[in-house]
Amino acid sequence: MNRKQLLGLAATAMLVSAALPTWAADPVRIGYTMARTGLFAAAAPSQEQAYELWRDQVNADGGLDVVGERRPVEFVSYDDESDPAKSAQLYERLITSDDVDLLLAPWGTPHHLNVAGIAEQYGFPIVGNTAASVAIREVQPGNIWFPTSAIPDQIGPELAAMLGYSGITSVSIISNVLPFSQENLSFLTPALKKAGIEIRMSENYPPDISDMTPLIIQIKAADADAVLALTYPADAFLYMGQARELGVEADLQFLLIGPTIDAFGKAFGPAADGVVTLAHWSPEQSAWPRAKPFFDAYVAKFGQEPDYLDSALAYMSVEILQQAVATAGLDKDALRAAITDGTFDTINGEVRFDGVQNSVTPTAFVQRQGDKVQLVWPKDIATAPLQ
Amino acid sequence: MIESLLSAQLLFAAAVLGALYALIGLGLNLVYGTMRLLNIAHGDILMVGAFAAFWWFTLTSLSPLIALPLIAVFGAAIGLALYFALFRHQLAQELDASVIEGRSLLLFFGVSVVTQNVTALLFTATPRAYRHLDEVYRFGDLAMTGNRIAALVCAVTLLIAMLIFLKKTLFGIEIRALIQHREAARIVGVNVEKVQMVAISIGFAVTAIAGTLLSMTEQTNPFMGFRFTIAAFVVIIIGGLGNIRGGIIAGFLLAVMEIYAVTIFSAEARSILIYGGFVLAIILRPQGLLGVRKRA
Repeated sequence: MNRKQLLGLAATAMLVSAALPTWAADPVRIGYTMARTGLFAAAAPSQEQAYELWRDQVNADGGLDVVGERRPVEFVSYDDESDPAKSAQLYERLITSDDVDLLLAPWGTPHHLNVAGIAEQYGFPIVGNTAASVAIREVQPGNIWFPTSAIPDQIGPELAAMLGYSGITSVSIISNVLPFSQENLSFLTPALKKAGIEIRMSENYPPDISDMTPLIIQIKAADADAVLALTYPADAFLYMGQARELGVEADLQFLLIGPTIDAFGKAFGPAADGVVTLAHWSPEQSAWPRAKPFFDAYVAKFGQEPDYLDSALAYMSVEILQQAVATAGLDKDALRAAITDGTFDTINGEVRFDGVQNSVTPTAFVQRQGDKVQLVWPKDIATAPLQ
Repeated sequence: MIESLLSAQLLFAAAVLGALYALIGLGLNLVYGTMRLLNIAHGDILMVGAFAAFWWFTLTSLSPLIALPLIAVFGAAIGLALYFALFRHQLAQELDASVIEGRSLLLFFGVSVVTQNVTALLFTATPRAYRHLDEVYRFGDLAMTGNRIAALVCAVTLLIAMLIFLKKTLFGIEIRALIQHREAARIVGVNVEKVQMVAISIGFAVTAIAGTLLSMTEQTNPFMGFRFTIAAFVVIIIGGLGNIRGGIIAGFLLAVMEIYAVTIFSAEARSILIYGGFVLAIILRPQGLLGVRKRA
């Protein structure tokens, strides 16, 4: 190789290295498991996509701030096959074998509860997200935190309060027999009675129900002011399509889970207008300046809207972790103290923890209004009046 | 109570659900009847049909009903590919039916897992849905959504066409002959391999069409197939394994049981009654509704 060729090679190498992103620091390895297959697989992408968006944003912004040092984020993730026990085993592997620096949460309440034991055992802090059960309060505080305010014993009284405020005096309830629906039903029923709202019918149905016509005929016959359908996503679609076909004309229709999924709006369009559901976040809330940019970035990256509950919670959890790492670094004790004592600025506004629970974000409800999903309850964070 | 049981709305709901169950059962029955293959990936083929319809509509904005022939060919191609890759060699060995059943059960389990996960990898597991023919038509007390009418009409038309095909055409008669007695069919000159290829193609095509019809009324996701696999097995066992006519009747019967069980008892009783009825049917008529008990 002559001198000219050598110079050419050196120049090419310089150009190539200038064109590539350079990371002076080692990556921060962040582990998690996700229900990519199995029973919960259809629900999990809205959470994992929020993680992926955050990682890409952080890396594009120069990396994760670890007490002043910028380091790229790298995910180490596994499919837990929707099995909470497997999830716990994999979190142990992430800590002991993969030697990750940080952990993100898996999907769903049972997984969170199983993983909480591992977090406690290894003293490894995890900010949870998509867990929603009164059972989370039984978890030993200190290594896991839950930003959600969608807890059944809070949802029941809040829903009853919203219905009472709206002048609703009677309801028909149908409920999936799966745990989250039943847990909500157990707190909703006494709350409605306490609020003086008459329950004209209350029926449970199995998760594999294929047609709701007989139930909806009963709902119509009951002629209540509101229908409260304690649904999971698949039966939310079934209820909505058939309630529309049979012309349910209640003043208010509440569906527990489903209407905030992007496909719900695509399936029903204007027919879904007015449907109320469970969520405590909306991009329409201007008091939360990070909310709309998150929504826009999610839509730009994935071509669909984020889930107003799961995606928002997942993104909140990484925001909290990011802000804690910026002040405390990767030391587990320092990180634990930072999360326990810190106040965090998220897409859902300010978040602080009291024990394992978010003590700031109120239990809230959103309503589909045109092509927007508006917060309608409680009034102090509402972005539009309940219609 | 009598008035509500005679409600046109309940009859319509039972008809739509029954036609879809019958169609789903028909696909499984053809494959089992001719080859004794226990296709527990049946619901996943339906899911593939539903996804094909979703993407067709999303990318072209044209009705998935226009794409039915295309989706049927797609379903048939999957059936043929599996036939050549997994079953042709085994079927050629003329093994005992119980051996074929056992092996096919395991192989189709693998096919099911692979199909679900490949679909999830390609498109993510996020539920998908689209709005098509969603106008509601009202005739007195009866309300019908356009897409449910379309599903009913297409499914019933296809069922009738299949019955005529199986009864009147030479190929249909050959399929029935193979279902009734494989060895006797071969002796009288039926080209068994050719009939098997046609049967698996039709079975998978019909199932993909059922998936297309369902996608107009339900959300679609890679893991939606399992409950339809279960429904299809209930239908063909009640109707009689390999008994096409019995399977179609059983499809409608299952839907009637489902709709009226909820009306008469409660929605919670639905699964107990359906699967209780299923177990009872196996005990009382193991040969199926229209089957004839074989003498030992």
